[in-house]
Amino acid sequence: MSVDSIIRDSATSRRGLRWWNLVVRELVVFLRTSFGSVFSREFLTVLIPLLILWEVLPRLGVVPRTLVPPPSAVVVTFRDMVVDLNMAEHLTSSAIRFTSGFLLALVTAFPIGVLMGWNLFIRKHALPLFQILAPVPPPAWVPITIILFGVGLPMQIFLIFLGVFYPILFNTYQGIKETDPRYLASARVFGASEFTLITRVYIWHALGSVIMGIKIGIALGLIMLVIAEMYGGRSGLGWLLLEAKEYFQIDRMVVCMVLLGFIGWFLIEVMKYIELKLAVWRIGR
Amino acid sequence: MIEAKGISKFFSVVNDDRTAEGFTALNSVSLRIESGSFVSLLGPSGCGKSTFLEILAGLQAPSDGQVWIDDKLVLEPLPATRREMEEYRKKYRFLSPIANSLFRDNPKHDIAMIFQDYAVFPWMTARQNVLFTLKLRGVQKSEREGAAADYLRLVGLSGSENKYPSQLSGGMRQRLALARALSVEPRIILMDEPFAAVDALTRERLQEDLLRLWQETKKTIVLVTHDVDEAVYLSDEVVVFSPLPGSIRNKVAVDIPRPRRRSSSEIREIKERLLAMYKYDTIHESDYSI
Repeated sequence: MSVDSIIRDSATSRRGLRWWNLVVRELVVFLRTSFGSVFSREFLTVLIPLLILWEVLPRLGVVPRTLVPPPSAVVVTFRDMVVDLNMAEHLTSSAIRFTSGFLLALVTAFPIGVLMGWNLFIRKHALPLFQILAPVPPPAWVPITIILFGVGLPMQIFLIFLGVFYPILFNTYQGIKETDPRYLASARVFGASEFTLITRVYIWHALGSVIMGIKIGIALGLIMLVIAEMYGGRSGLGWLLLEAKEYFQIDRMVVCMVLLGFIGWFLIEVMKYIELKLAVWRIGR
Repeated sequence: MIEAKGISKFFSVVNDDRTAEGFTALNSVSLRIESGSFVSLLGPSGCGKSTFLEILAGLQAPSDGQVWIDDKLVLEPLPATRREMEEYRKKYRFLSPIANSLFRDNPKHDIAMIFQDYAVFPWMTARQNVLFTLKLRGVQKSEREGAAADYLRLVGLSGSENKYPSQLSGGMRQRLALARALSVEPRIILMDEPFAAVDALTRERLQEDLLRLWQETKKTIVLVTHDVDEAVYLSDEVVVFSPLPGSIRNKVAVDIPRPRRRSSSEIREIKERLLAMYKYDTIHESDYSI
């Protein structure tokens, strides 16, 4: 083996190591900001007594055990559900629905919001339409959606899309519209075209409210996921929930609810992390 | 050369009791600024000097009058008749008159402007801020990095290239704004009270730096200020604005050879003359109002 190749190998391995280190470091940052706040000493002093209370009260018969399953029973049920009901499959189908509905809403609402915030002409033509449609509660769309799309994936995706679309749209629009005119003026004096203004000024200035919109969108999207699966479908967390209701299996309902809560919390933590990474400049303030 | 011909600017203001009222921010201001000169616009706050500067930069359209920079019209004035208004509306239906083109970055008049609160982009580091303006000017990508480092060194910011504006002090942010303005190699720099928000010592240093840069590069500088010392010390000519309605009250040439001393008797003499004028305006303010 020549000296050159040894040097090259060590260089690549070092680079590989660096890349690996970066991933680990970012993962640690993410875990610390997300799980760190749940498992902080301060919150554990609240969480542990609550869990003990939840465990002890049904066991002592203060509340009927059939109606309130203790956490230990919920854990056992969860294991049973994973084994018996093919939980992974249900979770995957829910995830596919949610992701496609969410992404569809993101790639439509964000550009429309940007365009409406940027240009008065577009705003005057498009905004009233959305202002009329947005107050219709998304669940009110369920009957007509089932008739139009039938029961199935398109209907579920459309319902989730409806939940996510408006929060992202209006928050993006608001953030873009409220861009500080001084920044725009300073870029204009230097000759920035409108397109440059959008990509380099407007979007960055509106970043906070866009991410806020996405967070609200995630929450509403999960609501619509459950509704969509309850009304049409043979799989997914919402369907499991409904199925558990039919057989009066309260422990299974609790498992589904805890899972949904966890998913929502996790997605919002992911958004917080993305915000942290994109808006490094705000940390100094 | 900047030539402002009869610039007027009217606003309509809504009062507390919900009645609308016309407000004259500028009343027929004409001014000629030669290339390579350093001119200060001096006046109390609210006398329309910042508005005048923004009209020079093409960030606001004048209600009447025209601004010519090197024999090129900056912005057409706002319409006066109903017919003109309709045409104007139709023409600027999609893009406002102050906007540049939709996709092509192209500075219109070789102007750079420095704002009172700097207006450097907080989401870009110092280096990225300068790189951005270099890109707007159309500098080749390979040359941008070197040029950015040069301009940052010129204003004494090397070492802080990778800091965000929020991590910089007020004076350093002002330097960054200056570096950004210089990086487009403009022939004219418009400054809107650039040193108002920094402490006295930093202000003096920034003024010295500005003078040095001006003498090295021989750009036209128009400085808006309410600080008499600053105006007299820095400029070739002081244009005194008076409020209500904003108009030019007087022009005072400062024929003192450079380098000047801040405490020299000539400077003090001019300063006292200006202060007397200033004071007269503030005391007799009501005489001007309509």
